[in-house]
Amino acid sequence: MKALNKRREELPGQSASSNDNDWFELDGRSNDQPDFDLEPSSAESADEQRQAELYLPENDPEHPEPTPQLELDGMAPAIYSVMLSDGREARFQYANNLLESLEAQNIDVHFQCREGYCGSCRARLLSGEVHYTSEPMAWINDDEVLLCCCIPRGPIQLELLN
Amino acid sequence: MPYTTFNRNEFDTFAQPMFFGEQVNVARYDQQKHKIFENLIEKQLSFFWRPEEVDLTNDRKDFLDLPEHEQHIFVSNLKYQTLLDSVQGRSPNVAFLPVVSLPELETWIETWSFSETIHSRSYTHIVRNIVPNPAVIFDDITRNEHITRRAVSVTQYYDAFIELSCWYQQLGEGTHTINGEVVEVTMHELKRRLYLTLVSVNVLEAIRFYVSFACSFAFAERAKMEGNAKIIKLIARDEALHLTGTQHMLQIIARGKDDAEFADIAEECKADVVRIFKEAAQQEKDWAEYLFKDGSMIGLNKDILCQYVEYITNQRIAALGFDRIFEARSNPLPWINSWLNSDNVQVAPQESEISSYLVGAIDSEVDTSDFGDFDL
Repeated sequence: MKALNKRREELPGQSASSNDNDWFELDGRSNDQPDFDLEPSSAESADEQRQAELYLPENDPEHPEPTPQLELDGMAPAIYSVMLSDGREARFQYANNLLESLEAQNIDVHFQCREGYCGSCRARLLSGEVHYTSEPMAWINDDEVLLCCCIPRGPIQLELLN
Repeated sequence: MPYTTFNRNEFDTFAQPMFFGEQVNVARYDQQKHKIFENLIEKQLSFFWRPEEVDLTNDRKDFLDLPEHEQHIFVSNLKYQTLLDSVQGRSPNVAFLPVVSLPELETWIETWSFSETIHSRSYTHIVRNIVPNPAVIFDDITRNEHITRRAVSVTQYYDAFIELSCWYQQLGEGTHTINGEVVEVTMHELKRRLYLTLVSVNVLEAIRFYVSFACSFAFAERAKMEGNAKIIKLIARDEALHLTGTQHMLQIIARGKDDAEFADIAEECKADVVRIFKEAAQQEKDWAEYLFKDGSMIGLNKDILCQYVEYITNQRIAALGFDRIFEARSNPLPWINSWLNSDNVQVAPQESEISSYLVGAIDSEVDTSDFGDFDL
């Protein structure tokens, strides 16, 4: 408290004796603070709509933010074209998997678990090859791939199944 | 072929089909014919959760505030889910374990059923929290004709298979006279009933459950009964895995990857598969009619739920390599994806109810206007 008083005295253009109600305690309650309850008086859920949030990556997986790491010339990942059977075209470069990449390019793909066990993002691979970054658990036929856990190994053609 | 709990024959594991081969003996996982079942077990174990982790105190208030017709929707849906998990908690064990021939598949079936028992326990947890006397809800499951009608369609394939399989275990193949009735036990009929049972399990997990999930999440989408939705979310994550397990069994059979005779039977049963899916879709639509008989709720009504039934039925039957049954359409309930997504699942008890986690938290947002009356 002493230090605080001292500080007040040092402020230019103010005398220590003026307005006593100006004075406050650093860790105390101010006089205009209302009482508060630890427990809310009504169910909080009634007050506002709270929807399930889907924690998809906020950044665009195909356009990663620059990192402070040194840029190495010619070391950027290769760009592969991803052709869809309905004529739409996308490209794959930075994303962690094909599902993210397609979503970032506004192509709607059915999904659920996003980790390879539900099989919702199954798609038919018409040409090209993919590499699985983790082992898919859902059933996939010989000509199908699971988009949530693979990346292309070259230009590919896909048929979305939904 | 009497059942023995420890088969003393020596045999080559890799030569065994999934079902109706040598009975299992040593529960060993060093030799695996279908490694996928081991992966499913690992995944299921990593999903372990307990219903008590989810706090449901706010749900009680929410439930009491719901209008009567919404209480009817919620409670009926809960009864249906309870019925489905009661069936799934025991039937795979009773039906499949006596005829299974691969240790990894045997263990998957046990792990699968076990997780269904957690689901059943979580329904009791939910019911205890919303009504003073849980018996009011549970007793009605066997009395309410709308629920019992569903019980028949869910269990008929299981029961038909178990009946024949029991005779097979006691008397073997052949024509037997039992209590004056002639029963013919053939491997072909056993496999046919087993295949249809697996299809009906697939329908249960892939369509029936998802329709009930849609109802649970529709409440939470309006910020009602959120604790319940948390639990259903964990259940949905498990069910997605069970569904994958059943799809694997069906596809391994249909592709003749382990038993040539079984593949022929799958081919022969194609029309039955379509019929089972169609019937289930119709039953789910009838159920939607019953749910919304006194009125719909915001965000969900009979028509939207029926569209979802058609959408999900198309998805699931296509996954088994069949043509779509209904006209192709996009998902009528797009918000359900965020509820079904497992990235979104948090089980830490202090975070499982977001609202209570924030009680007493400090608002750290500071705006220049906050300093408006601040002068030196």
